[in-house]
Amino acid sequence: MRFLLTSLCLVLVGCAPYPKKNGFSDLAPVQKEIRNPYFSDMAKDYIYKATVTAFDKSFGGILVVKKLGREHHRIVFTTRMGNTLFDFSLIGETFEVNRIVREMNRKILVNVLKRDFVALTKESLRIEKTYGNGNESLVQVDLLSNKHYYTFVEGKLLKITRVRKGKEKVGFLFSGINDNIAKHIEIVHKNMALRIVLNAI
Amino acid sequence: MFFLMATSVGAQTKMDPARATELRSKVKAQSGSTRTITSDFTQYKHLDFLSSDIESKGKLAFKAPDQIKWEYTVPFAYSVLFKNQKLYINDGGNKSSMDLGGSTIFMQLNRLIAASIRGDMFDEAAFDIDYYTLEGHDLVHFMPKDEQFAEFIKAFHIRFGTAGEVDMLKMIEPSGDYTQIIFSNRSQNQPLSDAIFAH
Repeated sequence: MRFLLTSLCLVLVGCAPYPKKNGFSDLAPVQKEIRNPYFSDMAKDYIYKATVTAFDKSFGGILVVKKLGREHHRIVFTTRMGNTLFDFSLIGETFEVNRIVREMNRKILVNVLKRDFVALTKESLRIEKTYGNGNESLVQVDLLSNKHYYTFVEGKLLKITRVRKGKEKVGFLFSGINDNIAKHIEIVHKNMALRIVLNAI
Repeated sequence: MFFLMATSVGAQTKMDPARATELRSKVKAQSGSTRTITSDFTQYKHLDFLSSDIESKGKLAFKAPDQIKWEYTVPFAYSVLFKNQKLYINDGGNKSSMDLGGSTIFMQLNRLIAASIRGDMFDEAAFDIDYYTLEGHDLVHFMPKDEQFAEFIKAFHIRFGTAGEVDMLKMIEPSGDYTQIIFSNRSQNQPLSDAIFAH
């Protein structure tokens, strides 16, 4: 009987929404929108040393992000020697491939990168629900037809979590935050062996 | 008059064919006798939409026929070594390698970089070649004929010093964005230990 109850509890927790599973409870929203400030300054060139680990292979390069207008970013990845591997424009959720080397021009890869860069650079997001746990708040937004949870601690955005069927699929972790710049960013995919580590130059 | 002066500053002029032949011979003689090169370099990555170029610095070591090591020191430690058809990377202590046999673009790029460092790129089957003089320097434009390669790099511009040595290399992409590498403190044919090219 005890086993049955334990199993039932586990099943119930397993089915619970992502915030509840992680110990958060409902909060009444105090604002309509949240803001991701990390790629929001048009005057700045955001330049990161990038290490991409995919299926046990690792390669490095430079990731450049530039805000060119409202909801408009240009994202370029080059080798260390400066050769462009891909060059994308994001205008709202419209995604344009300006250039990509043949070796990387695979529909699945381009789609993964598109979704990651939309989540990374999207500045203003409409709040669906808000949850709290101590000094942490978790804000649910809808992005790319998926639930995304934005974790704020003392007003700083520390993580974006893409969730599908109650489970974390992709985590975007921000650290070394100073003056609206995240010095260190990690994008970790849970459903495929892909990890992108960015360190500001 | 002022307008004429303004437009002539920094303008490159076509080199006459006799001088171009002379330059080719000088560079070929120089590259043929090159066994090793060490040099400092400063690299500028230009992307039109950025407020300033991305600058990095490091040291280059070359050993004939085709071992090249680019050791970046600024803004972070990173080295890339081309050796025996392989690309070896040391990213701040994390070592990895890539077999270039499967990547024709990188293999071609490596061959071209080796040739361009020595100044030995005068291959008319592979490039359309134009010769210019710019502010007292000899400047040669190499446009790859291979379509797949031209999608990656539209043109190489190589500037030569008085002895026919390469002092600037510019790789221009189809978009017009480019990487410019300026060499300084070049030393040639000094013995280089194999340890430099070890991974």
